[in-house]
Amino acid sequence: MTELRRATKSLDTVRRAREMLGSYYKRAERRREGAPLAWCMAGVPSEVLQAFDLSCEWPENFGTVCAARGVAAELCERAEGEGYSQDLCSYVRNSIGYVSRLLELGQVPPEAPRGGLGTATMLLGSGALCDPRIKWFQSLSSQYLPLPVFHIDPMSPPHDSHVDDPRIEAHYKEILSETLHEQVAFLERTLGRPMDTERLRAALGNAQETIALLWEIQSLRRAVPCPMGSEDFFTGGVVPLLFMLGERDAVEYFRCLRDEVRDRVARGVGVIPDERFRLLWMGIPPWYNLGFFNSLGELGAVFPAETSYYVGAPVEIDLSDPLEALVDRTWKRAVWITRWGAEVIPENLSPSGFSQPGTRLIRQWVHDYRLDGAVMHRTRSCRAVSWGQIHIKNQLEEEGIPSLIFESDMADPRSWADTIIMGQIQGFLEAIAAGRRERARAS
Amino acid sequence: MALRGLARARALYEGRDQRARELKAEGRKVVGYLCYFAPPEILEAAGLVPYRIRGDVRHPVTRADEYVEPYGCPFVRNTFDLAVTGRYDFLDGLVMSHACDSVQRMYGIWTHYKPLAFSHMVNVPHTVTEASERFYRRELGFFRERVEQLAGRPISDEALHESIACYNRTRELTRELYALRKSDPPRLSGAEMLEVLIAGTGLPAAEFEDLLREVLAEVRARAAAPGVKRARLLFYGCINDDVSLIRLVEECSARVVMDDTCIGARGMAGTVPDGADPMGGFVQYYFRGFQCPRTYRGTDLSRFDYVVEAAREYGAQGVILYILSFCDPHKFDLVEVRRHLEQAGLASLVLEDDYTLANVESMRTRIQAFVEMLS
Ligand code: SF4
Ligand code: SF4
Repeated sequence: MTELRRATKSLDTVRRAREMLGSYYKRAERRREGAPLAWCMAGVPSEVLQAFDLSCEWPENFGTVCAARGVAAELCERAEGEGYSQDLCSYVRNSIGYVSRLLELGQVPPEAPRGGLGTATMLLGSGALCDPRIKWFQSLSSQYLPLPVFHIDPMSPPHDSHVDDPRIEAHYKEILSETLHEQVAFLERTLGRPMDTERLRAALGNAQETIALLWEIQSLRRAVPCPMGSEDFFTGGVVPLLFMLGERDAVEYFRCLRDEVRDRVARGVGVIPDERFRLLWMGIPPWYNLGFFNSLGELGAVFPAETSYYVGAPVEIDLSDPLEALVDRTWKRAVWITRWGAEVIPENLSPSGFSQPGTRLIRQWVHDYRLDGAVMHRTRSCRAVSWGQIHIKNQLEEEGIPSLIFESDMADPRSWADTIIMGQIQGFLEAIAAGRRERARAS
Repeated sequence: MALRGLARARALYEGRDQRARELKAEGRKVVGYLCYFAPPEILEAAGLVPYRIRGDVRHPVTRADEYVEPYGCPFVRNTFDLAVTGRYDFLDGLVMSHACDSVQRMYGIWTHYKPLAFSHMVNVPHTVTEASERFYRRELGFFRERVEQLAGRPISDEALHESIACYNRTRELTRELYALRKSDPPRLSGAEMLEVLIAGTGLPAAEFEDLLREVLAEVRARAAAPGVKRARLLFYGCINDDVSLIRLVEECSARVVMDDTCIGARGMAGTVPDGADPMGGFVQYYFRGFQCPRTYRGTDLSRFDYVVEAAREYGAQGVILYILSFCDPHKFDLVEVRRHLEQAGLASLVLEDDYTLANVESMRTRIQAFVEMLS
């Protein structure tokens, strides 16, 4: 394995993310001994957590940080030694290895980045998005940390559902509403205080702004040269979108990012000086090697769009009953995704602000973003995100666009084979260039 | 002469889809279904022939790779490859359920590349709450409506009760047959039992009932075999729809006397409560009660008590934990069920397979060592 490196960020705003997103990055300073703290999964709406003023940690995000700091492999191995298969999600294995170390040492392991995770008093999971999410906290709680667990259980309509049928709408909204009310009741019981409805309303209002800003940023990225690549989205967009949606800090941050991207478009400034290949990124990035995107930049490739953590179009909601507004937002977004072809993104209904784009939308992107190809990261330990890539590859072929699928993992760097992967990438880019020459000759 | 009893079961097991094809030739509509979350009772009540979709461990997956990634449930991939290569062309419809990610995601891919005139997905929540039960119940209502459309006629309550009663009888008879394995030696081997059950998954319930009665009579009439002592095992885990592995275990001087797999005892436990509210009965049986690891049932290991109890009841000394690659639900539960069995004094052996039984020889060695340790 050659060097794994962190990304060099292109945008100033992204470089300033840690300072601008203080409420996330400085949370360790705010932890109070003995105060309630939840470990949460992406998919749990962060607006509801804010409405309880509940401190949270996100083991998934911790997995990406451990990956970036080079400790994930060891933690994953430890979990494997305790019986958790290497097939299982590396975020899960990372967290299990971490907890097992924690219990062994009786304190945060010294190798844990950012001082480790705060001491959990409850585990908040979600049945949305993938199976591991419904089993992960079961394992943590039954084998390591006997804490109360609560899972929301939103259900997604299959791709061929009649989402315009009011009965189908009522069906999906009902369980979503009920599961969110159950979550609120659980938090009220556990924390001994009621939810602050005003705060929820404000958070949802902020989330609306965030989603609109991200939508705008994603549209601005169509420009040639591309003003913002996937490396900046992954390093600077994922935390405020997944874990801070609803917070004011996130709105201000994305506004600043939008302004910077807009300014770049106006001035014709791109991520790389000589943009030769515009590529779609599909899949979870290799968090331990985001510098990979810069390596591709050196070869003239830029990523103006990615499918993961896709926000999509903003929808109108009525905030008078905020919990029902959250239900409505979630449903409308699911309908939007389904209309664009959700045959390989069956988990399209998640109360958090992101999902994946539908098949027909991706085909549309070929033209909108002037794509030359797609690079897809097949993550061995995450089926939820990588299943469907071959289908999209087949679909893109019909648009005349080639795709490269390479294999590795999101948080377990043991799967990264640098020479092989870089060789595949180079071959792929050469093939695109050759195809271009061919077409030029023919015309 | 027409085959009867175990010989008929074997023939039906080997000619997996022969009976369904015959029924189709007679003008009946055959609907393939994957997982019990779409109750076959509903299909039968509409006059359709439910056919449980199976894989074929001897069928090499080739074409599926053009449409779906390799890192997913090898069983589901195998069934899809059979569909792509034409083996399921006799189906009039496809019903899948949101059992696990692999099945759920395969539904979209299957219906895109191999569309059928009728396809439907039954959605299933992951947690057991009153809200999720209401959701599943509504899902069953939608399923019923779609089935009625396909059948071109409404499902009467009477037909539903009849269908439920018939399925319940097959479960009861299956349990009677299982009970004949409590003796030492058991009256019927694990491989024979599985052949009968797999044969049943391709038959209308009434025909399965007849088959079970024949087999019961035949096995009851068997002379008690000489009592050679052999290790008695319970077989737990992922779907197992081929008898090779059980046969392999039984070749290693052991006896599979009980199981907890979904074509086996897991799907045959208890009865669908039938009364004024048949849909409520399905919710109880196929959702609240059905012990598939895809459903979250809290963190208390006592949820595996039923496995320990089954092992005790059948005098099993050890447990084989059969796990398919990339099966997330089972791979999470594996650690916990193992620990629980250990605490109950039951040794276990994990056999991982990619649904090709490619590692039979190394499995054999490990099973032999396990059996030796037990005796
Ligand atoms: S979606 Fe994939 S990476 Fe995320 S938790 Fe599920 S299995 Fe892990
Ligand atoms: S074996 Fe596991 S992954 Fe495969 S269908 Fe069954 S539960 Fe799903």
